[in-house]
Amino acid sequence: MTDSVRYADYLRVIGAGRREVPMRELVSAPVRGADGRWTAAALPAAKLHGDEIAAVLKPYINVRLMEQIRAVVPLALYLALFQIIILRQLVEESLIVAGGLFAVIVGLMLFMEGLKLGLMPFGEIIGSNLPRKSSLPVVLLVTLLLGIGVTFAEPAIGALRAAGQNVSAERAPYLWAILNQWTRELVLVVGASVGLAAVTGTLRFLYGWSLKPLIYFSLVPVLLLTVYFSSDPELAKVIGLAWDAGAVTTGPVTVPLVLALGIGIAAAAGKGGSGLSGFGIVTLASLFPVIGVMLLALYVSAASSPAEIVAAAQAAAGAGQAEGAWFTVSPGLEIVSGVRAIVPLVIFLLLVLKLLLRQSLPRRAEIMLGIALTVVGMCVFNLGLTYGLSKLGGSAGSLIPSAFMQIPGADNSPLYLYQVGLVLALAFAWLLGYGATVAEPALNALGVTAETLTNGFIRKRSLIRAVSIGVASGIAVGVAKLVFDLPLVWLVVPPYLLAALLTVVSTEEFVNVAWDSAGVTTGPITVPLVLAMGLGLGNATQAVEGFGILCMASVGPIISVMLLGQWARIQLRMQEKAAVEEPVNHLLETGAPG
Amino acid sequence: MKPEGITYLTDVTLLTCIVAAGRADVVIRAAQGMGAPGAIVYHAQGLGPRERLGLLSIAIEAEKEVVSILVAADYQDAVLETIYRAAELDVPGAGMIYAIPVEKVATYIPRDIMEKGQAS
Repeated sequence: MTDSVRYADYLRVIGAGRREVPMRELVSAPVRGADGRWTAAALPAAKLHGDEIAAVLKPYINVRLMEQIRAVVPLALYLALFQIIILRQLVEESLIVAGGLFAVIVGLMLFMEGLKLGLMPFGEIIGSNLPRKSSLPVVLLVTLLLGIGVTFAEPAIGALRAAGQNVSAERAPYLWAILNQWTRELVLVVGASVGLAAVTGTLRFLYGWSLKPLIYFSLVPVLLLTVYFSSDPELAKVIGLAWDAGAVTTGPVTVPLVLALGIGIAAAAGKGGSGLSGFGIVTLASLFPVIGVMLLALYVSAASSPAEIVAAAQAAAGAGQAEGAWFTVSPGLEIVSGVRAIVPLVIFLLLVLKLLLRQSLPRRAEIMLGIALTVVGMCVFNLGLTYGLSKLGGSAGSLIPSAFMQIPGADNSPLYLYQVGLVLALAFAWLLGYGATVAEPALNALGVTAETLTNGFIRKRSLIRAVSIGVASGIAVGVAKLVFDLPLVWLVVPPYLLAALLTVVSTEEFVNVAWDSAGVTTGPITVPLVLAMGLGLGNATQAVEGFGILCMASVGPIISVMLLGQWARIQLRMQEKAAVEEPVNHLLETGAPG
Repeated sequence: MKPEGITYLTDVTLLTCIVAAGRADVVIRAAQGMGAPGAIVYHAQGLGPRERLGLLSIAIEAEKEVVSILVAADYQDAVLETIYRAAELDVPGAGMIYAIPVEKVATYIPRDIMEKGQAS
């Protein structure tokens, strides 16, 4: 029997699962038309089965989810462990808090992705096309309005509003009035300040102004107003809020969107180039709102007396017992505020695009999906904020003092000797600030910039460390302020004067990096956590208000980064000197240069 | 549960088309119109013929875009001719296109397309 088997067939059989398909079977065949040209059907849009879609989405979601988990989980774990081990208290309603944290993670993930897909392309299109088609005043007006819009969309702003519910009207009437009756005006004022900052920053782009005089000019009114406020016992309680508002604004929506617009304008004017010119807007956007909020407080104090506000608060408290409409109670409130934050911004951008630019959206479906993701993410994030981060921060904040003083809610407090407990609480705050900052992704980008600026003399790692130490020290000082009830004016004015002094002696580039590092560090996770912790701490220690930690956390890095810059310069000069003085043959003898 | 094994595509040709920077779009659109699944664009710099033109070289972009397209070997001429016409490669200095036989290709083939291929 001479049956033969082709070797190739044999291989195909034993190499099970290994098969070959000629490509022609998978594509449509071209046909030659009457005119001799080839025609063929184009490949239709891919039709995928469920498991194939899952396989495509899995790596995409994994990467983004891990990013947020890395930012949130260590902080939350640290807070919870500190509470359990040092304070010997269990986290209350731990399931809800865990669910809330998960919502924060998912919400942030959706929000950031939506931002990248939907809002950012918008900003870039407008930024690059608007200056070419419209005159400068129109461009500046759009910038101003955009500044207001992005402030409404900023997730951290919601945390500030939520904080208002814990303030007592009797003890800090103006603060209560601003946070409860004037919330819309508050956000509007902050937004307008950010808008003004964006306009100033854009002008700076166009005319190449130095940042230093701008800093001096905005610092003078800020510090003067602060000193004036501190002289009035009622107004003094608003200082903390005003300074914190500045730190809150420079979040993940404002910075990239305003920057995209500004860079577009600068590029269109032919003034692009310097990568640094993008900086500075962030700085101004964190100083101007301080002025804005203080002016609003002045207006409120002129419009109503403390007694009236207290009466109004009591009336509100009485009426507040009634069941509100569905959109004024959680979770309806979070969803409505999420939608309200994004949709006006999108409508504004669309109007600019249609009316001023007369352009249609490129990749419309993708951008629409992005915007939908942003809205959904914002709503989920808001829910998580209420149930997870704020609760965790608040409970940690209210329990920390039990380490060193008598707290009604905590068993056998004080847990430790007064001094030991105090040191523990401050160390906790310091480590929290350090951990939260080191993980901040925006800081990485800043570190790279600093490294290129100084030709690698300042390492990325040392900048990140400097900023983190600055933030950590700031938060620790802020906590000390709450514990000892120090007047904020003494904590704000001297550091900013020191910062101004350092600004005078530092180089322009380093001034840019240092002042911006303050805005960069206050992200969407740090802000609500620190705010909630501060308010809880403030309540527990019977302080009037729990604000001020954030602003301490933003002046800290300014000083530490500029000190780092000075140190680097001195080191560099000493090296140069040594290199000049040291004879070459000496170098040869030792064999090791530098 | 993932099925074991691997499916090779055979009878594949690699079409490589070199055109002036910015004209890759024309090539890709022509190829996709002929049923090509996808394309990759490289940015490159061309040297040689341009330099020999003397002053005329100013009329020809040194920056090139190289488009790589995988097509079924049986239909390579159809796609090649279409691209040749669409990119106007018969003009001096416009660029070139060439075909190279590819032994085998392995990638993820959507089940939908696979089934359609088996049925026909």
